[in-house]
Parts: sequence; structure tokens; C-alpha cells
Amino acid sequence: MSYARWFTIYGPSYLNALGWTALTAVLASLGAVVWGCVLLLFRLAGGPWGARGVDAYMQAFRNTPVLLPIYLIYFGFPLIGLPWPAVICGGLALVLQNGAYVSEILRGSFKAIDRVQFDAAKSIGLSPWHTFRKITLPQVLVYSIPSLGNQVVLLLKDTSLLSAITVTELTMQAKLLTEQTGAAYEAFMVVAILYLILVSGTEVLFRVAHRAVRWR
Amino acid sequence: MRRGLLRYALTALGVSVLLATAAQAGAQEKSRLDLVLERGKLIVVTMSTAPPFAFTDEKGQLVGFDIDIVRLLTTALFKDPNKVEFVIVTAEGRWPAIESGRADMGVGGTTVYPDRAVRVAFTRPFIDSGISVLVSKKAGIRSVADLNQEKHTVANLNNPQMADRAKRFFPRTKVLTFDTPSAQLLAVRSGRAQALQIDTPTAEWWAHQNKEELEVLPGFLGASQNNAIYLKPGDFKWWQWLDTSVAELRTGSWYPQYSDVYQKWFGKNPPPQKFYLPRQ
Repeated sequence: MSYARWFTIYGPSYLNALGWTALTAVLASLGAVVWGCVLLLFRLAGGPWGARGVDAYMQAFRNTPVLLPIYLIYFGFPLIGLPWPAVICGGLALVLQNGAYVSEILRGSFKAIDRVQFDAAKSIGLSPWHTFRKITLPQVLVYSIPSLGNQVVLLLKDTSLLSAITVTELTMQAKLLTEQTGAAYEAFMVVAILYLILVSGTEVLFRVAHRAVRWR
Repeated sequence: MRRGLLRYALTALGVSVLLATAAQAGAQEKSRLDLVLERGKLIVVTMSTAPPFAFTDEKGQLVGFDIDIVRLLTTALFKDPNKVEFVIVTAEGRWPAIESGRADMGVGGTTVYPDRAVRVAFTRPFIDSGISVLVSKKAGIRSVADLNQEKHTVANLNNPQMADRAKRFFPRTKVLTFDTPSAQLLAVRSGRAQALQIDTPTAEWWAHQNKEELEVLPGFLGASQNNAIYLKPGDFKWWQWLDTSVAELRTGSWYPQYSDVYQKWFGKNPPPQKFYLPRQ
């Protein structure tokens, strides 16, 4: 079957899947950045135990494949009475893992801030919370934009793993069409192109954002 | 003028004959059968999560009824049941594995459907199987009619036949779609779904393994179906060898070996060798 003919027949069925991939990627990215900030806060303000706790968390999530938390949350939560929908479970797993990476990225940017600024903040009477919110966080986020862009791209590609838990995103759609038509190459080629477009778009977006906010 | 036309016609004829021979030569590719014999081992694509057809046991070994059938074929080819390499894939990975030539053939609880046969070739079936519904005992579902309620969820595999049967037999039930049978089972055991549909021997196997938790509903969903070996279409010699061998296993000279394997996995005799012969 020619690609053109195959695409005219089955192309439209990818639209819905494209929507799910984009939606989960956007929401999980936002969640991961927020969760990363929270982890950074714990590390900075939680004393020695806070830092140790965050380290342990990091080890646990960095050293396991993300498919594992996806399975654990999706199949484990109903056992404790929380039968959340698949998208939420998968999104949560992505947030938990990528949040760990994001907090490391933010920590790296935090080290780039001149200590003098904290002394200055103290001398004008800013509380630790205000210092974090007004001085630390904005700078940390701006310094981190390029690395965060990389992380979002990784997360976007990881959404394909949600196909293992019934989410009809792009990869699942390709699997369904393969089983239906037996045309594996066509089905996955379309998906490859769509991922390429999504990822390139994301990269451009982060480059523009970085250019718009960086200090000269 | 006339002679020019004649010469033109003759040249055209000559060229078309040449082209036809070339096409014929191209079509006479080497058969997989010769390739397999030369290589000295068979490469088979299969799934590892479809008990009792093809699955990994507690020792991590790939075992099952379909696996043993492949070992019988390997014995026929090489006088050695171990000269075989298994390539393990998920459900939708089966078709590209044979289309690309990565594997010589495939097995693993694979059902024959006419729409599938457009893209892949099947031998005659080596076992038939119904589709059954496996339910969680907690759900209190006694029949397919019980299952057909909005409050219930059924776990499907990602092939369209599953979706069609769900629409036909329990249109009200919510549907979840997974890419492996093991994920379907996990869905029922974790309470994500109350039921799943799968080949009857697989359903019975799981119910047997989890007697307190799971049971098989009486009756089948639709017709009895055929499970067969699948391969890349167009290689007549290879298909013929496989089909002949399956025929010999099911109804001919290797029926005793076939019966042993059938007994081992299903604990009962296979369908009789020939309809006019008494059951052994």
C-alpha cells in the first residue's frame, strides 16, 4: 500500500492521539518544573535531613526506568483504593521522575548566583521565603531555560511509554493501526514524523523564550 | 514502411520476452527453507506473555504449547529440538518481524483472521481455540449479560477483533486496551478492570493459577477460532513445508508427538486424528 493512500485513510485518526501526547507533555512538564522547585526548596531550607531526603528521592528515581513508576502507580494505586485514570497515573509518574532531574538542573543554576545577593537580601530585611521567591527562583529559572528545554524534550518522548497503560497517545495509535492493518512501517513512520515536529517545535519555543528573558 | 513496422514489432516482442524472463528470474528468489537449512537453525518470532501457548516459566525459560510445536518442527528439520532461536516481541511487533525477514516464521497464540491474511500468510491451524472471558471473583459477574453494565470495565488486547467483540457482546461495558496479555491480567488483578477476554486456554490457565481470585465465564465469545503459524507471504516452498508439517502433526504421521505435547499442556487428548477414527 502506498504511503499516500495509507495516510489519507488513517491519517485523521492520529489527530486525537497527537492531542493526548501534546496535552500530557505540557501538563507533565509544568508539573515537573513545579515539583523540581519544591524539591530545591526542601534541599535549601530543609536542613541536613531535607537535603538527605531529596538525595534519596533523586537516587530512587534517577536509577529506575520511568516505565517502572508508570506501572507501579497505574496498577498499584487501585490496590490502595485510588483507581485514578491512566492519563493521571502516567502523568504523575512522569512528573515524579522528571521533577528529580529538574531539581538537579535548578540546583546547578542556583550555584551560579552570586552569594553577595543573599547578604544584600538579608541586610534589607527580606525573610528567607521572600529571598527564595523574589531573588533565588526567578534567576534560577532563567538560567535553567536551555537545560529545562532538553528535559522537556526527554519528557515529551517518554510520553510514548504511556501506551503501556492504555493511553491512546501517538505510539498507542500506531500500535492499534498496526494490529488493525498489519502495516507496521507506515503506522510508525507517521508517528516518527509527528514526534519530530513536536520536538523541533519545543526546541524552537525554548530558544525563543531564552532569547526573550536572558539578561544582556 | 512495412518492413520497418515488422522490425519494430519484433524488437518490441524481443524486449518484452527479455523483461519477462528477468522478472521471472527475480521472482525465483531463494526460499526461506533453503536459507534455514543452510543456516542450521530456525528463527521464530513469538510472544512471551501468552500462557499456555508461549510464556516464561519460573526459571525464566520460554515454554508453552506453541514453543513445543516449534521444537517438533525443529526436530523435523535438524533432528535436534534446540536448533531454534526465539525472538520475543509484543503483539504488534509480530508482523514487522516476519515482514522484514528478521524471523522465518511466528507462533504464540496467534489467531487467523481474513483481514490479517491480507498482509501475512498462515499455515493450516495447529490448534483451535475459543475466546473466553476471565473475571475477578470479587466482581460477582456470573455471565456475559452480567458483564454488560456501565459499572464494569473489561481489559482488551490492542487488536480490532477484541474491540469488535466488546461492541457486540458487552456494548455497555467500559473498555481498556493493553499491548500484552500480561498487562490485561494485571489490570484484572489490580482492580483496574473486572474482566478480560482472551483465548480460552490462556483464560483457563490463569484461572487455574489463581483459583481464589479468578474464574472463567461459561461459554465462548463468538465462534471457535484457529491458531496457526504465520510467515511472510509469497514464499511457496517455505509455506508448503510448514503447512505439510502442521498437517502431519495434526492428522498424520507425527500425531503421536503432537498428542504428547497436547497432553502436556492441556491435560487431555487432542481432537481425533481423523474424524472416522475412534478417539484413542
